[in-house]
Amino acid sequence: MRVAALLIFTVLLLAMQAAAQASPLIVELMPASANPAHPRMGDRLMFRSTIRNPGADQAPGVIAWLSLVQVDPGNEKPVDLEDWSAQKALTLPALAPGQTVTTEWPIRLIQAGHYRVAVIATAAGIAEVGAPVASRFAGFAVAAKPVVESGRVLPIAIGVPLLLAAGLLWRVRGGRVR
Amino acid sequence: MTSHADQVSVRSAVLPLRPAAGAWLIARKETGELLLSRRGLAWLLVVAVVLSAFALLLVSDTELGLLDNAQVVYDMVGIVIGVGALIGVVAGVDAVGGERERGSLVPLLLVPLPRGALLAGKLGGIAAAWAMTLVVALPYLWAVGSTGQNLGHAVAALIVLGTPVVLGFGAFALGLGARLRSVPAALNAALVVLLLSASPLVIGPGLRRTTIGAAFDAVNPFSAALNAVDAVVIDGERLAAHALAFCAVAVWALAAGWFAWAGMRRLAR
Repeated sequence: MRVAALLIFTVLLLAMQAAAQASPLIVELMPASANPAHPRMGDRLMFRSTIRNPGADQAPGVIAWLSLVQVDPGNEKPVDLEDWSAQKALTLPALAPGQTVTTEWPIRLIQAGHYRVAVIATAAGIAEVGAPVASRFAGFAVAAKPVVESGRVLPIAIGVPLLLAAGLLWRVRGGRVR
Repeated sequence: MTSHADQVSVRSAVLPLRPAAGAWLIARKETGELLLSRRGLAWLLVVAVVLSAFALLLVSDTELGLLDNAQVVYDMVGIVIGVGALIGVVAGVDAVGGERERGSLVPLLLVPLPRGALLAGKLGGIAAAWAMTLVVALPYLWAVGSTGQNLGHAVAALIVLGTPVVLGFGAFALGLGARLRSVPAALNAALVVLLLSASPLVIGPGLRRTTIGAAFDAVNPFSAALNAVDAVVIDGERLAAHALAFCAVAVWALAAGWFAWAGMRRLAR
């Protein structure tokens, strides 16, 4: 009898610890429907995340942040969001039971490549340090685009000075000289 | 060669000049000298060569992959404002100091016009030079702004924010030229101030985030203009949201205008 009671108590304790350590949040991430199908450098994409607290307790001190990784073979790396996004993180004092928060994450495409983006969230106010919760990855590819097109620059860079030089020459030789 | 003071005084002997008409006459003459003479075409050529060199550098730079097109347009706008301010400084010093060296300042001062009208005429010439610089710069902006991303906003910001900066430097240099007896001294002083003000073009944003850098940014009209252009062109913000930056550069232009006006008044004493 004592052994059975001890066993039940141990199981209950482990279940409570597991419940406390598990993050009480559910995070989902979706690309906006207006995003271009084949984005190029310079385009902007919008992602929309929902963070939900499905538990019965309040989730205090919620932090959510954007994570972007490049997945091109041989060039796999996390991406510094400095130039990519002005909206890098979200903080909430608390998320009530059943409450859902929707956030938009605009991204400006700086470099060509294949990328995956996710939103990671944690309830930092919980005493136990548990694992953060991440959304599923949303993937996208960015096509290269020349930042400066030589076909447009060269005629201007050569033509304008030549035009002015011709005007100056005409002024010196044939026009009114002041 | 007839100095423009001679021409103005000849006209004024025939027709009594109203201040506005006198200022217009002087501005036209200054504009003609700046834009239609060999000297004028030569500096326009120099402007074009500078912008061409910068555009070619952008084309040949393989490190631009991390930047988007708006950054390139922002850089070009900054260069154009810098070149415009440089021309404003040279034209401003020459407006009085040059007249003094050519011996045409006294006849000009004898023209029966208020000093304010003389100043307005001289500043009109600088404004015309800036307008011509803008005309030369537009094809370059179009060429480097290949995606069209915020290009229209960049041109609007260049005109709205660049004009007070350039006219301010022109008026400041004109005031120095009126105060200092030596053209080289006035030119050196004005160029040093311009170089210091335009330093945000070459100093990275990291250095400008320091306390001293932030304090310098707060009082520098060049910084105010560039920061607003950055926000409009790169971050896609509305130009109207940066009315404070416009106020800052407008205050600079008014203060420099007052400095020039006070210098012109001293000429009579």
